[in-house]
Amino acid sequence: MRTLVLMMVLSLSVSAQAFDFGNFDLEKAVKTVQKIKKANEDVSEPQEIELGSGIASNLLGAAPLLDNPEVQRYVNRVGRWIALQTERPDIPWQFGVLDDADINAFAAPGGYVFITKGLLARMNNEAELAGVLAHEISHVLRKHHLQALKKGARSELFSDLANDAIKTQGGDPRLTKLVSAGTEIYARGLDKQDEFESDRMGVVLAARAGYDPYGLPAVLQTLQSINPNDSNLALMFKTHPSFDKRLQLLADEMTPALDAYERQPDLDVRFAGVMAARK
Amino acid sequence: MKRLIAALLTLGFIASAAAEEAITLRSTEMKAKPYSDAQTLLTLPERSKVEVLQRRASWTQVKSGKTTGWVKMLSLQLVRGTTQRRADNGLRSLFNVAQTGRGGSNVTTGVRGLSEEDLKNAKPNPQALAEAQQFAATKAEAKRFAMQGKLKAQQVDYLPGGER
Repeated sequence: MRTLVLMMVLSLSVSAQAFDFGNFDLEKAVKTVQKIKKANEDVSEPQEIELGSGIASNLLGAAPLLDNPEVQRYVNRVGRWIALQTERPDIPWQFGVLDDADINAFAAPGGYVFITKGLLARMNNEAELAGVLAHEISHVLRKHHLQALKKGARSELFSDLANDAIKTQGGDPRLTKLVSAGTEIYARGLDKQDEFESDRMGVVLAARAGYDPYGLPAVLQTLQSINPNDSNLALMFKTHPSFDKRLQLLADEMTPALDAYERQPDLDVRFAGVMAARK
Repeated sequence: MKRLIAALLTLGFIASAAAEEAITLRSTEMKAKPYSDAQTLLTLPERSKVEVLQRRASWTQVKSGKTTGWVKMLSLQLVRGTTQRRADNGLRSLFNVAQTGRGGSNVTTGVRGLSEEDLKNAKPNPQALAEAQQFAATKAEAKRFAMQGKLKAQQVDYLPGGER
């Protein structure tokens, strides 16, 4: 497909300049080809959402959804409210709590965000939940998982999807492979810089949503104090930069920029009420 | 806050009142109140050990010797194994999330969560995804929820890039 496009663009450029070979700008033609190629290597929003829903479905195959409708609805409301403060307010954002003791959170392309029960259980208020959800939302905003797929071992399949060679309907086995590759990113982790960027954006999104922006660093501080041999932290340790480094960067970045928002509410009472309610 | 404490006490969530400890990561001013322009009570040198009383936004109330005051939260590192009480919310007790050993012991938890292998071998569960979808919030619901919590949307610019 790409070769075909390349040939077409080259022949167009050549014929347009056919009467004056002396002025044929090869450099310009190559740049045009590169530009077209680049445009075709990004998936469309519907493709992103389809890919994300496949990855989310896999995640729910690995860990079940927590059977507590009140907690699920609560987490969705906090998450949706934050998402409304972002540059992608209209994608079908969906949040969920996984019934899993591991301490982790996951974002999938297209607006799917999950946190584990193990992580939720270590939070103290709604601002902390907001901080973690905002970090995950930022991964979706910046398309970090799509970038990882593009650079990964299945980059050819990603290009095929971007170039419409793979249809999202009809059960193309290549799409299944791409979805599997997308799920495996959770076992390997994203680029460190992507994690730092999501921390940096997450605290701002929490502030935009009216929360105390220090919820995310507070969670990181709690996790930092957990015994590092705790098996429930093993995957988080493997796939994320150290809590020390993340907290150090946030300390430098948040002060004094976010000091003006530190007296915004953390809604500890509302949080405790939902967590304590029996279904 | 009082309601919260009452609720927690009723449900028996505050199991122990063991002191939570932290170490200062840098030389840090201890303030009389949780504000930058509050009176400075004393300056804690780097690596001072303090007792943690409570957190309020970017400030943590600590006790050092006989002095109680507020220091910047991010100037502190909590001491491992002393944070049981703070991290024990209702969900943790209700859902029996495994507890870690106290006092920094090397005991690992018995319950093993989501592993690398689970993710690599994951099979789709579209039924669970459809179930999850029914809890999604509409924009209107989210706005109503924010209003109930007196959350006010703010204009805040993204922070400039950190380490690259």
